[in-house]
Amino acid sequence: MQCVFLFQIRCVACRFIVGYLLNKELPRCVAPYFFISSWLMSGQGRLETDTKRLLRTGIMSVDLSKMRNIGISAHIDSGKTTLTERILFYTDRIHAIHDVRGKDGVGAKMDSMELERERGITIQSAATYCNWKGVDINIIDTPGHVDFTVEVERALRVLDGAVLVLCSVGGVQSQSITVNRQMDRYTVPRIAFINKCDRTGANPVRVTGQLREKLGLNAHMIQLPIGLENDLVGVVDLVTMKAIYFEGDNGEVIREADIPAELKDDAAGLREEMLEAVSMFSDDLMEAMLEEQDIDPALVADAIRKGTLALGFVPVMIGSAYKNKAVQPLLDAVEAYLPCPTDVENLALDLENDEAEFSVTNDDKDPLIMLAFKLEDGRYGQLTYVRTYQGRLAKGDSIINVRTGKKVKVGRLVRMHSDEMEEIDGCGAGDIVALFGVDCASGDTFTDGTSTCSMSSMHIPKPVISLSVIPVDNKSQINMSKALNRFTKEDPTFKTFVDHETNETIISGMGELHLEVYVERMKREYNAEVEVGAPQVAYRETISARAEFNYTHKKQTGGSGQFGRVAGFIEPLEEGEYEFVDEIVGGSIPREFISSCDKGFQKSLAKGSLCGAPITGVRCTINDGAAHNVDSSDVAFQLAAGGAFREGYMKANPVIMEPIMKVAVEGPTEFQGAAMGSINQRRGMIIGTNEEGNYTVVEAEVPLSEMFGYSTTLRSLTQGKAEFTMEFATYRPVPKSVGEELVKQYQEEKKNS
Amino acid sequence: MGKEDLVVNNPLRVLGMGTKAEDEQQRMGLIMARAGLGKTAILVQIALDSILRGNKVLHVSIGEGVEKTRAWYDDILNLMVEGKDFDNLPEMVSEIVSKRMIMTFKESSFGAAKLEERLKDMVQQDIFCPDCMIIDGYDFGETTHEQLQEFKAFMITHGLKTIWFSAVSHRGDDRVSEAGVPAPCHEIDDLFEMIMMIVPEQDAIKLNLLKCTSGAVEPGTSLLLDPSTMLIKKG
Repeated sequence: MQCVFLFQIRCVACRFIVGYLLNKELPRCVAPYFFISSWLMSGQGRLETDTKRLLRTGIMSVDLSKMRNIGISAHIDSGKTTLTERILFYTDRIHAIHDVRGKDGVGAKMDSMELERERGITIQSAATYCNWKGVDINIIDTPGHVDFTVEVERALRVLDGAVLVLCSVGGVQSQSITVNRQMDRYTVPRIAFINKCDRTGANPVRVTGQLREKLGLNAHMIQLPIGLENDLVGVVDLVTMKAIYFEGDNGEVIREADIPAELKDDAAGLREEMLEAVSMFSDDLMEAMLEEQDIDPALVADAIRKGTLALGFVPVMIGSAYKNKAVQPLLDAVEAYLPCPTDVENLALDLENDEAEFSVTNDDKDPLIMLAFKLEDGRYGQLTYVRTYQGRLAKGDSIINVRTGKKVKVGRLVRMHSDEMEEIDGCGAGDIVALFGVDCASGDTFTDGTSTCSMSSMHIPKPVISLSVIPVDNKSQINMSKALNRFTKEDPTFKTFVDHETNETIISGMGELHLEVYVERMKREYNAEVEVGAPQVAYRETISARAEFNYTHKKQTGGSGQFGRVAGFIEPLEEGEYEFVDEIVGGSIPREFISSCDKGFQKSLAKGSLCGAPITGVRCTINDGAAHNVDSSDVAFQLAAGGAFREGYMKANPVIMEPIMKVAVEGPTEFQGAAMGSINQRRGMIIGTNEEGNYTVVEAEVPLSEMFGYSTTLRSLTQGKAEFTMEFATYRPVPKSVGEELVKQYQEEKKNS
Repeated sequence: MGKEDLVVNNPLRVLGMGTKAEDEQQRMGLIMARAGLGKTAILVQIALDSILRGNKVLHVSIGEGVEKTRAWYDDILNLMVEGKDFDNLPEMVSEIVSKRMIMTFKESSFGAAKLEERLKDMVQQDIFCPDCMIIDGYDFGETTHEQLQEFKAFMITHGLKTIWFSAVSHRGDDRVSEAGVPAPCHEIDDLFEMIMMIVPEQDAIKLNLLKCTSGAVEPGTSLLLDPSTMLIKKG
């Protein structure tokens, strides 16, 4: 048994020390074995490192079946970062464990940003890699808060598999639903890990039920906890039907034993249930079950893998990362059940063949295709995270940015380990690495120039909230510009612009916390002191009826004149933001000025006349007009179209739309009434309440403009025991009274400016 | 086409539901069927019809989540309007959402007292004051006559027009009441003013009326269910 302990301790130096300590208690004849084996293994370790270097530099080809690109995603505070910290510890990437909100002041490895460590939340997804039993695992630890959802989207786009972490007490929470939906969107096979089983009220069986009911997943436990809450000591592996205990200071010592007698029946029952579900994916397993043979664990594992890859089954694992329980079996499961790069189909668009889709090959020998999925602007210039889908890239190679056609030389290539980086000489298909000094945008595709293709683009949500930032002095003004330049480049959901009427710089993002974090980063990282204005909601304007227009633009006040007449109608567009329809027959508007009309309409969309918000959901159709041989021009028709739009717009019953947020308030049932009341006061519409024991979730749709400062209200109403999450749901027309107020406010602002 | 057309052409009119006389009576209704035959689909159609007639409906779902219950409404409504040209569908959808509230409970914690506590919370704060209630997933196997009477009292106290329940019957249980109401509701059928049973037959699924105290329709009247959509059709 001690031999097993020793093999589990993967750090070579530790092996020697532990070997020495164990040696004291071992029979004399056995002891030398440990020293020899340790020495041999340390040699093997060196050999492994050398081999890896050769593989990475491209001298040898990489076995892609031994590679996993995975993400770790979950609801906020489910323990993703703690889990990643333990994974890094067990795979020898770090040699000490630090807590997320650690008293030692160090903080978790993956929360490298000062702000992340202070608040105990992950803001940027961090990338790292590790090696577990010969398998290279690239991990992206993603934020849990919905305001940083683009980080999750970006990670999922380039990952092959994911671990969905859930809290054993909170279960499937609102953000778990969002993350699961995102995983569905990118067809990412997943393992569920029910974390925090050491907490009071832990109930992994209930959470597994929620995975089925709330997320519609075919989720089944493949482990059973041995003890719960304070008594959690290990798990029963339902595949091998063995009990696994995690001992030692950091749970690094794994002990296998028989299943405790009191759990045998439960284990058998759950295994039966799991086998029934998973046998749908393996004829061999089904046959073995029908013939009532002893079932080979390898057959079960193979069926679980098939089911997981087909997105038809979700294996549910159990543990407590904080208490160092059952993280190693999760790593085993990552290898056993999650896909390697060749197991998933990734599609690229052939730009030379009408954007026809084709599958990337994952072959090192094929032409290079890489996707830049994340940018970071740091001390040494722009760092670009890329995923290689096929081909090989070596330091010094030149690559082409398909979007811009620019050729760039790759000077430095690094593998990221949170905020640290490791220089590498090359990377191959399936790898996630970072490039230095390559100017590009997030979502750009790189090739070696032999093919012209693009990886399909990522879903980027639009910002819904804005606020003005005013630098306190000149120095801060310069620093703020630098900071904003960097942040907008890194984060496509963060936008900035100058409002020409007020001359203020406006920043827009996905929520209050999102903007708060950027303002804080401006202060800390760029020394830019700014005064922040009240948050503004991103209103939109649209029309609710069809209206005709017939407008003539005529100007003859010296010099060359301007003439253009545009007639047609505008009508609501159900899907999309804007559409232009040309129904001109007989050349009443000459062909060369049709695009001018389109341009004129589009310019008019920038600012509506009700409250100055952008106009969306409009179809403009032109069916008549007139031109002058001399005075008609591009500008004249743009102005005529602008006038026509203004004329039609006010007749088409314009309305102001506001962003509506999907809000979930979670807390003890005794505060359900208070929570519902607070939502009701905010023009919210309660969709439903979900009561589970002493815990209730109130789901509602609330206008974003009513949600400012809600966290403080909720805290005081519920003695700080309830929390809420929100995400953008849709745009809806504002009530008449609110609309009138907004119009009045806009008119006053216009008068004063 | 408008929502009035959906109301007028609803096959539930055959059962006399929605007439002025019917609406003035307070009553409890029950849909019975074996597991998986479409009780929830029927309840959702009754709820949608009630909403379209201007009522506010509280849908209590026991053992299911809010999302799943909401999906039932979305699916059934989509099927109801499919292929029909509606004047203002988005407006109708938002009206339905605003007149519907979903509450979900775990089987173990649900009871009339708890429901009353929750309802008071909402009514007192003027959040939602329902006219009708749907209770789906209630365990009649464990229910006594007294417990169900609490719901009746609750309906009268809160001025609810109707409460509709669903109950699961079992193939092996042959117990039936005089009115032909099968177990587990055979001993409590006196508390319901209307009872319907979903019965699968060789070539169709039928919705049979077992009991109707108002006399508007004779017991034995049937409607059909479309097996692919579970929408109610005229028999």
